[in-house]
Amino acid sequence: MLPILQRMGRQLDGRPHLLRLGRLMSETVLLKVDAEEYYLFFDRGRLAEIQPGPSRKTPWRFAISTDRAALDEFWRARPRPGFHDIFGLVTIGRARIDGDILALVKNLRFFKEFLALARDEAAA
Amino acid sequence: MTIEPITGRYLRIEVAGTAQRIYVEEAGQGRPVLCLHTAGADSRQWRHLMNDAEVTRDHRLIAFDMPWHGKSLPPEGFETREYLLTTETYIATVLAVAEGLDLDCPLLAGCSMGGRIALQLAALHAGRFSGFIAIEASDFQPAWYDIDWFHRPDAHGGEMGAALVSANISPHAPAAERWNTLWMFMQSGPGVFRGDLSFYTRDDSLLGRLAQIDTARTPVHILVGAYDLTCTPEDARRTAAAIPGATLAVMDELGHFPMSEHPRGFRPFFLDALSRMHPPAGR
Repeated sequence: MLPILQRMGRQLDGRPHLLRLGRLMSETVLLKVDAEEYYLFFDRGRLAEIQPGPSRKTPWRFAISTDRAALDEFWRARPRPGFHDIFGLVTIGRARIDGDILALVKNLRFFKEFLALARDEAAA
Repeated sequence: MTIEPITGRYLRIEVAGTAQRIYVEEAGQGRPVLCLHTAGADSRQWRHLMNDAEVTRDHRLIAFDMPWHGKSLPPEGFETREYLLTTETYIATVLAVAEGLDLDCPLLAGCSMGGRIALQLAALHAGRFSGFIAIEASDFQPAWYDIDWFHRPDAHGGEMGAALVSANISPHAPAAERWNTLWMFMQSGPGVFRGDLSFYTRDDSLLGRLAQIDTARTPVHILVGAYDLTCTPEDARRTAAAIPGATLAVMDELGHFPMSEHPRGFRPFFLDALSRMHPPAGR
């Protein structure tokens, strides 16, 4: 999982429109995939650091919890219904969003497109 | 160079005592089909069908922007008013537009909140129409989100609204049409999407009216996209089951804005829906 996230961080650096959309996004996001935890430190739209967890001492603004099989389907070029969007994953019971959801919504396009960067790779 | 066959005009009418200037566009000839856009968007959602010669050969498609939307202005004094759409105002607006355009028992095609109000009109004013095509339409769903997110001083409601509704667009939709669809939400006036959602997520009055719909008199066909998270196929199935005689089609590769997000995919379903709208008796 960590190499995928690291690749996504590099892809983000090559997307000027995402860096522009995320210029006010300086938050820590907790991504839980099955039992694994990753703290994603965003700094003005760049993924500055990825810190594998678990950690009881790292504050985060919002968290997405899901499972690897759901993420793999999400990352297909044309996912099945429900797997095509993070809110879809929540709707079908394969993900959960916790924390300051308004912080997510204010940066929703940025974060959705960031999370879908691995989809671009799958489609390539 | 191409000039599209769609033409636009402005209709000045009074709706529930309020003067409104309504933008209306149309294309085609024959049986009139009055088309209603979704929440937070406008009549451009219908542009592909209005440019489809097979559809407009014997159907006159008419789409209008609801007040506050698209090229229809908000009413005088809007600057101090909170926009909250209600079932009563929505019904009055659709009926006033149909009357203002002198439409004789048109078909009514509405998507999302337009589909919801189409079913309300099927229950309460069926005599004014000859059939109902209710797209992404269901009885009621409360919001899983906070509608106030979409009108706040510290964020752009249109951009947040577009990012939210992108969850309802199918991955099969062509990228250009996905973004054209989202652009309308990005352009939506401040508080307008919120005001539409107030109607869509808080008014459950249709629940008790579905059984009143007489499909022998005016057919009802419901269309739903498999990728629609707002009005899911389950929501549409439940709604169709509560309307005796209503028919339903599930569109496997489409989402919540089928006529706009994926026109080629939606086309056969809309043509099929038109074919199910038998002419009114005695006409």
